[in-house]
Amino acid sequence: MLWTLVLLPLLGAPLLYLGGRRLGRFGLTLAASLVVLATLVLAGLAITSGWQGSVAWSETLALTLKLSTAGSVFALTIPLVALLIVVYAGYHELAPRTGYRRRDRQGARLLGLLLAFVGAMQMLVLANDFLTLLIAWELVGACSWALISHKWGQKEVPKEAAQAFLVTRFGDLGLYIAAAAVFAGSGGFGYADLATLDGGLLSIAVAGILLAAAAKSAQVPFSSWLFAAMAGPVPVSALLHSATMVAAGIYLLARLQPTLSAVDWFAPLVISLGLATALIGGVVGMFQNHAKKLLAASTSAQYGLMWVAVGAGFPGVALLHFVAHAFLKAGLFLSAGLAERQIGSYQLHDMRLGRRLPGVALAAGVLSLALAGMIPFGAAWSKEQIAAAAGQQAVWLALLVALAGGLSALYATRFQLLAYGRPLPRERSRLPQGPRPSRAESGALWLLAIVTLLLSLVWWPEVQAWLAEAWPQRLPQGKLWELIVSLILVVLGIAVGFVMTRRQRRSSTWQERAASWFGLPTVIQTIARGTVIFGHSLARFDDRVVDAGLRGTARFARWLARRNAQQGEAFSEGVPGVVTRLSEWGGHWARQAQSGQTHHYYTGISLGLAVILAILVIGALL
Amino acid sequence: MILTVAWIVPLLGAVALAAFPRWSEGRARLWAAAVAALSLLALVVAWVGFDPAGPLFQHVEELRWVPSIGLAYRVGVDGIALAVATMSALIFVAAIAYPVDTLGQPRQYYAWMLFLQAMSLGVFLVLDLLLFYVFFDLTLVGMFFLIGRWGHGTPQVSALKFFLYTFAGSLLLLLAIIGLYLSIEPHSFDMRVLIERQPLAGTGLYAGLVFLALMLGFAIKTPLVPLHTWLPQAHVDAPGPASAILAGVLLKMGTYGMIRLPFAMMQETFAKYSLVVGIVALVAILYGALVALGQGNLKRRIAYTSINHMGYTVLGIAVASAIFADNQAARQLALTGATVEMVAHGLITGALFLICGSFWQRTGDYELDHYGGLAHRAPLLTGFTVLAAFASLGMPGLAGFVAEFQVFAGTFAVYPWLAVLGVLGILITAALFLGLLRRLFFGRLPSHLGGFGDLKWAEWGVLGVLSLGILVIGVAPQFLLTLIDASSALLVGGR
Repeated sequence: MLWTLVLLPLLGAPLLYLGGRRLGRFGLTLAASLVVLATLVLAGLAITSGWQGSVAWSETLALTLKLSTAGSVFALTIPLVALLIVVYAGYHELAPRTGYRRRDRQGARLLGLLLAFVGAMQMLVLANDFLTLLIAWELVGACSWALISHKWGQKEVPKEAAQAFLVTRFGDLGLYIAAAAVFAGSGGFGYADLATLDGGLLSIAVAGILLAAAAKSAQVPFSSWLFAAMAGPVPVSALLHSATMVAAGIYLLARLQPTLSAVDWFAPLVISLGLATALIGGVVGMFQNHAKKLLAASTSAQYGLMWVAVGAGFPGVALLHFVAHAFLKAGLFLSAGLAERQIGSYQLHDMRLGRRLPGVALAAGVLSLALAGMIPFGAAWSKEQIAAAAGQQAVWLALLVALAGGLSALYATRFQLLAYGRPLPRERSRLPQGPRPSRAESGALWLLAIVTLLLSLVWWPEVQAWLAEAWPQRLPQGKLWELIVSLILVVLGIAVGFVMTRRQRRSSTWQERAASWFGLPTVIQTIARGTVIFGHSLARFDDRVVDAGLRGTARFARWLARRNAQQGEAFSEGVPGVVTRLSEWGGHWARQAQSGQTHHYYTGISLGLAVILAILVIGALL
Repeated sequence: MILTVAWIVPLLGAVALAAFPRWSEGRARLWAAAVAALSLLALVVAWVGFDPAGPLFQHVEELRWVPSIGLAYRVGVDGIALAVATMSALIFVAAIAYPVDTLGQPRQYYAWMLFLQAMSLGVFLVLDLLLFYVFFDLTLVGMFFLIGRWGHGTPQVSALKFFLYTFAGSLLLLLAIIGLYLSIEPHSFDMRVLIERQPLAGTGLYAGLVFLALMLGFAIKTPLVPLHTWLPQAHVDAPGPASAILAGVLLKMGTYGMIRLPFAMMQETFAKYSLVVGIVALVAILYGALVALGQGNLKRRIAYTSINHMGYTVLGIAVASAIFADNQAARQLALTGATVEMVAHGLITGALFLICGSFWQRTGDYELDHYGGLAHRAPLLTGFTVLAAFASLGMPGLAGFVAEFQVFAGTFAVYPWLAVLGVLGILITAALFLGLLRRLFFGRLPSHLGGFGDLKWAEWGVLGVLSLGILVIGVAPQFLLTLIDASSALLVGGR
């Protein structure tokens, strides 16, 4: 039964694509959102009635689905966020029906792929073994490739999509190895089998899982694929960053944390990777001037914080932060899309649309404050929990988490003020105005803002008590001074953000470099280009050297045949000829010996006797 | 009886085509397709009648022929042979049904196709070593004429190179077969006897030489690096359907032969060299993928991915042969994976080469840089190519993944490093196929492609069937895995 949760959107996708071409914008959007809604309802049913699912491929290979705590949280969050994004996508990306029976193949494809994306992600979070996980893991990657290359007509877009796919697939290789290691150690592929491993195999499996999770979660050094993914349309980015794809990495870590932490280097490595990403991502967001890329950097950074929580041993905290982040980040991307519609680009310095779109600006303000970690938003609470979790390990870790929080306050402020702040006094909008956002678009955005507001309730002790009862998770005990330091840093970040956006400034070279992950994309592109060049030279080598052996053999055989024709033939003709001549000569000589004269014969006899004697003497002496 | 029907029907069909000189192109094609489909049907019946719990070889028939030298007409299949043979028959039906320019000689073209089908199925179905060799060689004749008469570019040169190179491999094979024949008392060509008695177990140099000759012969056919240079040239100059058969069916004879002869008949010897074979396979995987990445010619690029994929198969076979590893489940997984890879690669690369044929029919050009932006003009062609490309790069849900996952999982349990380095192959394959899709279908449409037409129904019908097969194996491979596992369990069982 649990398979319905996966199959409904996965099968709905091709149906929507094939059948949806006749539908208009409204019909397509309605059909797609109904499928997502049904998935949401099914997820609720599955959680309340404890469904399971299993299909055996062979004796060794079986696909199993099972709900876990982390899986339930994700299974509900994914369709909920996706529902709003699909509605937005329908009205943001699809053109209204203008002519009679206008076929909108692109729109049907986009919505169909969004559905498939949801289905693959549901499969990922429900998987109970590494084979199923790997299938879903790669399907999610393929869906994101197809979604990012939505506008394939532009020259750069397919390249960026390929880059995003290849970087994440490099991580997938880790999952292949992890699955193989689990099989080598236990003979099965289940999550439960992972726990039975020990020693080297466990280390290999954990390393593989970490590689896969780091690549998907856009942690250092894989962060830059998220920038490449920005070539996709806004709803795709919104879904990619909030509830799918990037979320897969943290899901896997949170799901398997009890087993993974058995390896002693797991916690330090995960904490340091997460913290490094959170800090570096914060700096990238601080200097980035492309609206979507700023949000992308912030995604890496926020997931870095979740990594810290998992590393510190509190996967539940990471899940809470995931939920809060999913809604606010989806909303922020949608608002960025609306801003782009107005000015035709994602350049933050050209926006400042507060006067033009006051309603959107307000919603974006709520989301930005939540991203900044301002009390009383839910994201602030989960962030403080992460700081407290880090504080259990070491005080300086908690301080670094608070610093990362300060950086997120900074870039959130920058985003809000540049995108939806008031225009600078000297500048009047010189760009043409775009169409006003439709009700569906701003409605989706507002709903996300409202959910974010509702999540503020977690600060309320009674809600916390209810949460602890409904969902027993270990929560860290925070200290008051940590909270205060954290808040001071948030306020400081907001203040610096204000100062930074007061004036229009040209960014210096090093700021630009910092804004693009300190040259990380260049490194990855260099590796890619190097591989292609290597492939080309190998291809030349193959043509000129490897094949030369074959051509050489053929030439040698031809030469041999020619030699044979010229000289071998003469030789074989010659040998019988020489023999004939020799025997002729011998015959001639023998005839001469028969002279008929006695003294000739006596000479011959005495010579013969001498020879016999000599032989006998030699024989006796020897 | 059913197996004999499967290979003799196409032969009779070919004779009929040769005998009726008045048949039109459409009639000849219809006849050939029907005959090929009948042969496929016979194999499907054999599949349905195959008992997974039964003995290794089933549907066995034996007919005395030349008892003085131990030669007899023997046919029979295990799960591996049956899976590969059925896939081959399907590829033949697809290749025959795919529209192609027959240069005004349709009867001859389809007759050679049917002849080649009969010989190819014979290779997979016989249980007699000498007949195996005869069929193995006669496939060369069929392919030689298909490339030489209906190819483009420099078809005669390519056909000759293909023939001579692979024929050299066949000669080594003949020597090895005689070696195997002489090693058993009374002398016999019966594969079942050779598999059961393992005559060369533990006989040093003699066994080593026979093994080397067998492996060299099959490595040329597979092909493994560095014995592969006949392949790209033959592919580029062959007509699309012939390429599909060359990659989809003929290459499988190399790996099938490895499983049937050295793997099954000389287990101890193979085990001694399994690491060497595994390393050669790894080189083929990485080298094939990298060279494919460096190709600017559509057909050459796909041809080199064949080398990469056949490398996975050989890796699986090498791992399965490591009897000292004492991990029977892993070895069985690797052997099943290798066989699924054969089936999957046949379907996927068959589809890709048929697509190449469609490109050639439309433009007469394989240069990737001369294309672009076709997704809008030819959505069906784009869709099928994307599906086949993703299947080839090992995307889950499609056939290639089921094979590669099993091969890697099995390999890791025996030779961890080969698996760790081998998975890099699927990353490079992903890069080269995404690049291929980008250069063919995305970006701007060049002006000279303004009249590029989408697939006709005969084309997409055939591709649809192949794609369906790829999808079904990727999503629900139970029917295939049950069949193959039945035999791979017996084969690695260490009899």
